Amino acid sequence: MADPRAQPRPGDLALLAALGVVLAAVAQFGPFLYASPLRTPLNPVFATAAFIGELLWVAAAMAAYWRDPSGPMWKLLLASRAVSALGAIWVVNTSLTWTVWEATIGLGTVLFAHLVLAFPSGRLVSRYDRWLVIGSYAVLAVARLGFVLVWDPRSGNCFPRCPVNPFLMWPSADLAWLFGPGLSLAIPLLAVLVAIGLARRWLRASPALRRMLLPVALVAPLELGVSAARFLAAMSQDAWQGVGITLSTSPLAFLHAAIPAGFLLGILAARLARGAIADLAVELSRGVPLGGLRDALARALRDPTLALAFPAPGGVGWVDPHGQPIDVPAETTPSRSVARLERDGQPLAALLYDPAIEAEDPGRLGAVSSVASMALENERLAAQVRAQLGEVRASRSRIVEAADAERRRIERDLHDGAQQRLVALAMRLDQARGRTADAGAIIDRATEELLAAIREVRDLAHGLHPPILTERGVAAAVEALAERTTLPVRVSIPPDRLPADVEAAAYFLVAESLTNAAKHAGATAAEVRATLDGGLLHVTVSDDGRGGADASGGTGLVGLVDRLAAIGGTLAVESPPGGGTTLQASIPLGGGAGK
Amino acid sequence: MTDADRPLRIALADDAVLLREALAGSLTAAGFEVVGQAGDVAELTALLQRVEPDVLILDVRMPPTHTTEGLEASHAIRRDHPRIGILLLSQYIETRYALELLRDDPAGVGYLLKERVTRIEQLADAVRRVADGGSVIDPEVVSRLLGRPRAHSPLDELTPREREILGLMAEGRSNSGIAEQLVVDAKTVEGHVTRIFSKLGLEPTGGDHRRVLAVLRYLRS
Repeated sequence: MADPRAQPRPGDLALLAALGVVLAAVAQFGPFLYASPLRTPLNPVFATAAFIGELLWVAAAMAAYWRDPSGPMWKLLLASRAVSALGAIWVVNTSLTWTVWEATIGLGTVLFAHLVLAFPSGRLVSRYDRWLVIGSYAVLAVARLGFVLVWDPRSGNCFPRCPVNPFLMWPSADLAWLFGPGLSLAIPLLAVLVAIGLARRWLRASPALRRMLLPVALVAPLELGVSAARFLAAMSQDAWQGVGITLSTSPLAFLHAAIPAGFLLGILAARLARGAIADLAVELSRGVPLGGLRDALARALRDPTLALAFPAPGGVGWVDPHGQPIDVPAETTPSRSVARLERDGQPLAALLYDPAIEAEDPGRLGAVSSVASMALENERLAAQVRAQLGEVRASRSRIVEAADAERRRIERDLHDGAQQRLVALAMRLDQARGRTADAGAIIDRATEELLAAIREVRDLAHGLHPPILTERGVAAAVEALAERTTLPVRVSIPPDRLPADVEAAAYFLVAESLTNAAKHAGATAAEVRATLDGGLLHVTVSDDGRGGADASGGTGLVGLVDRLAAIGGTLAVESPPGGGTTLQASIPLGGGAGK
Repeated sequence: MTDADRPLRIALADDAVLLREALAGSLTAAGFEVVGQAGDVAELTALLQRVEPDVLILDVRMPPTHTTEGLEASHAIRRDHPRIGILLLSQYIETRYALELLRDDPAGVGYLLKERVTRIEQLADAVRRVADGGSVIDPEVVSRLLGRPRAHSPLDELTPREREILGLMAEGRSNSGIAEQLVVDAKTVEGHVTRIFSKLGLEPTGGDHRRVLAVLRYLRS
């Protein structure tokens, strides 16, 4: 499994709930507990609705704490409520509270942007997001600090009250405008930048992450747009201020609650999606076709990017369900999580999945893997067998390749060594003949024997690997072979050059077949036909001999079957007694399977 | 080209040094002048810049690829030095290569099994024929083609004597050469040749070496 998480503690959860409710109550009802001339009359419907909105945030914070107590998400959610509650102190009619309130204006908006960009894990992933959030906090801090240092509330129109600013150091109406209303012009810019950040995340998001991002992506730009409109209205004159008040008191004021609502709904939907695990159990009990387990798991995990890996047969590395080598990262990366499953202490499988499904529903992976444990075990065995089969094929093909290379090497050694020496020796004998009249007969005899040896070595070398096969291809080599065969042989082979292993397999098939036809089958004629069909070379060798050949019997045929199989080819033998023999081979040109 | 007073000038190209030296010795002993030796095609090309032998004896298989360098080189040499006779030696005889060699111009070329060099009189005969602009084809090619089992063929119509003469034609021998070999007079040979051609349905060809190609192609088809 992924990193071990801290376990949530019920006591802390209760504390969090209590704190959240208190903050929510302060935010919405606090002003009414304080007798202030500033507050507007309590609108019970509006305040209750706003309170419920606050409670959604608290519930979201509790849910975030429960699934990831050590993560930042629940802290961010709680902090946003604390800032909301802080907003209530504006009704407290003291200079200090008033100034603190002034100093924290806009903090809620930036925190909201932070929360949106960090959704749903609470962590800012991309550099763009991090710099946007850090930059926003920094600009806000400078602006508000600067504001309280230069703003003299008594200098202008300070209706409805004119408190003293205890932090005022350098009164300046111009600077106050710049730090205050001036900088609030940046709020629409922030809305646009956050929308860009969200769009970037959306484009890169996996399907699972998009499911969670959807409510945020829909609501956040709208909410920030409303905030921007409110700020712009607040700094403008007269008529537009009415618009700000309308926005603050209309249902749009509850828009922000869609964020925790979406978060909670996402968790709920993810929980409900656990039903897919029950479906998986049913599907697995019916049996999935071999290799189909990945698709079944991907459906149950709701992660189409899921990949399965099993320990390779040798214990080193991993293979996919088809037995092909696959790379399993040693550690979880931001784009790929790795869960290594074990069974009885032995590695069973590795699941490579989208990290977003952990955030969506942390327990799902564990549930799916325990349901699928037995099926994974089967699939592991099948994958390992496939991998071993692939290795065996590859090694068989390497063995044939090595044997062919060895035959070529021996042929060349004979050609360059023994054959040249024997011919040179025969020439020396020939030179000696004229000089020793007595030994003439002996030298003649020796020369005869030497020439016989030269012919034998030549036939041996040629049989190992006829050079014309490499030089001119299988068609020329088979034509030359037919010339030397004691049977009339009709040859029809396309002149194309083919991969060396294919040419060798086809040539030795024909050579062996013609030898059998002439020596064992008592044939009077034979025919060799080859055709190229897509990626296959079809070779047919037929004779009119006595038949009765058996691919499992004669060693020659068994060798041919092995040689063909090594490069992925097949051989069919039809040899009814008295009815001649027909061998049909199909050889893939692209090399054998498992190469 | 052959001047009776002047020994034939021979160049050798073969990467087997031992054999090359033995061959040079034999040829010198037989009255030829060995004017140069080369171990591969590059050396051979350089050698032919310096000397122009009457006959070049070269191995089919040489470095660097040890396949058919000698055969390929012989095409180029025939183009660049048409007066040099070429005798190609090979450890194995392939009919296809014989035809490839004869295809451009069958005059002054030969293709022999390497072991033929062990009988210096046979080799000397071949060298002289090539130097005279004749063609020499190894008896192995001919016997292989003549010995091919055939279902039904005009070859069955030939008398044993005519088959023998057909074989000698396929080896590249001229009428007078055949007459010498069979110890008959040239007129008799001519009569046989005419009958053979008519039995096989071959057009009479001008010149002995055109005849080689026609006969070989006929036998191979």
